[in-house]
Amino acid sequence: MKEPTPTVFVVDDDEGVRNSLRFLLKSVGLTAITLPSALEFLKTYDPEQPGCLVLDVRMPGMSGLELQQQLNVRGAMIPVIFITGHGDIPMAVEAMQHGAFDFLQKPFRDQDLIDRIQRALATDHKNRLALKERDSIRTRLDSLTPREREVLDLMMRGKPNKVMAAELGLSQRTVEIHRARVMEKTEASSLAQLVRMVMDSGSASTAR
Amino acid sequence: MYVARAGDRLPDTPALRFGAGERIQGVTPTEPRGTDKDAHELQGRLMHVSRLATIGEMAAGVAHELNQPLTAITTYAQACTRLLDRVEPNLGDVREALQQIASQAVRAGAIIRRLRNLVRHTDSERRPGDINALVEEMRELMETDARVHGVRLRFELAQGLPRVMVDGVQIQHVLLNLLRNALEALATVEPGRREIVISTSLTREGEIELALADSGPGVEPAVAERMFDPFFTTKEFGTGLGLTISATILRIHGGTLGYRPASPAGACFFARLPTA
Repeated sequence: MKEPTPTVFVVDDDEGVRNSLRFLLKSVGLTAITLPSALEFLKTYDPEQPGCLVLDVRMPGMSGLELQQQLNVRGAMIPVIFITGHGDIPMAVEAMQHGAFDFLQKPFRDQDLIDRIQRALATDHKNRLALKERDSIRTRLDSLTPREREVLDLMMRGKPNKVMAAELGLSQRTVEIHRARVMEKTEASSLAQLVRMVMDSGSASTAR
Repeated sequence: MYVARAGDRLPDTPALRFGAGERIQGVTPTEPRGTDKDAHELQGRLMHVSRLATIGEMAAGVAHELNQPLTAITTYAQACTRLLDRVEPNLGDVREALQQIASQAVRAGAIIRRLRNLVRHTDSERRPGDINALVEEMRELMETDARVHGVRLRFELAQGLPRVMVDGVQIQHVLLNLLRNALEALATVEPGRREIVISTSLTREGEIELALADSGPGVEPAVAERMFDPFFTTKEFGTGLGLTISATILRIHGGTLGYRPASPAGACFFARLPTA
């Protein structure tokens, strides 16, 4: 499946600012969609769409900060670059505390904005790859039988086959077979890689 | 409904003390009420000072408002430079950006001009005017001020209203005063529910009404009784003159300033003016 083109979303209630940003982004070959309000953005936003969000802090109706909170609640991962008027620094600080990617004060140098957008798009790409990888590991881990999962948990704790066999009431030979199946199903090339995959997927067993 | 009493006028001169016994220039201590000319001059000066104070309070909004066209201009100009750096620049795009730069600069100029008109105005002059046009002139300024406070403005301007004989800047001053009161009243309301409706209409009595209704907590009866009194204020840093001066402006126009609870909740202040 082909990756959709990353899109820069610009949300600003000022038509002049909005159009000028679309013009600038187009001139450097970026795909930009401009929207006049936070609500309009939420209406059209597709979490599957890679990109970043350039967001005015201060807007009537739902403010930029409120939109950021909405996105956080929904677990959206799109990086947000805030653009602020002067005197809005406390708001920008609050935005950063809530996980904003960066902020810029209006008016800004075009290169500063473009650099930040490029970095935000790179971060978004990286996050999406990591998420995909995690999903794929989870699917592989989910394919393990309950018995294989038990073996995996003991492997994670570094138990030798003999101990595992005793703990699970199985023969060493059977444990070896389960072990091989775990490595095969998870596509891990080594025990170290297997441990890392399980840790990264967030599904390490906390039992015992 | 509360209406500023017909006899309300600016505070008598002895009340206008600046520090120990010092009085505003033009008022002689031996004549507490001053001459008519003195009183008139004092009134004009006080209105001017009050207007400047109101504009000062709006400074953050004005700065923000000017920053928008400046941002657009900066962005277009930088994009132009990029376009011209290309081997074969698309001059059509450059022209489009230049046109936008010009219109954004005109917009910034208009903001400054409106502000300057408000500041400079000293000689009162009444002309027949359209109340809606006076509101529209202030619209952008008011919307910016509202935005800074997270408030949504709604305009319900009746069409085809008869003209009023007014000093436009003075009426706009009243409008800004009422707006600032409403914005402050909304500070305690949760952000999504802050709204002010600015409306114009023709009353049954044949007067033109300009009203501001907010979605705030409304005015307590005890406060409503006194709020048109000079120096009465509920604000920490208020002068207590905003409503008094607004009432005076309406009175010298042969109109009234009043208050009624808004429906379903909140406060509604209205200015009524006779038609021209």
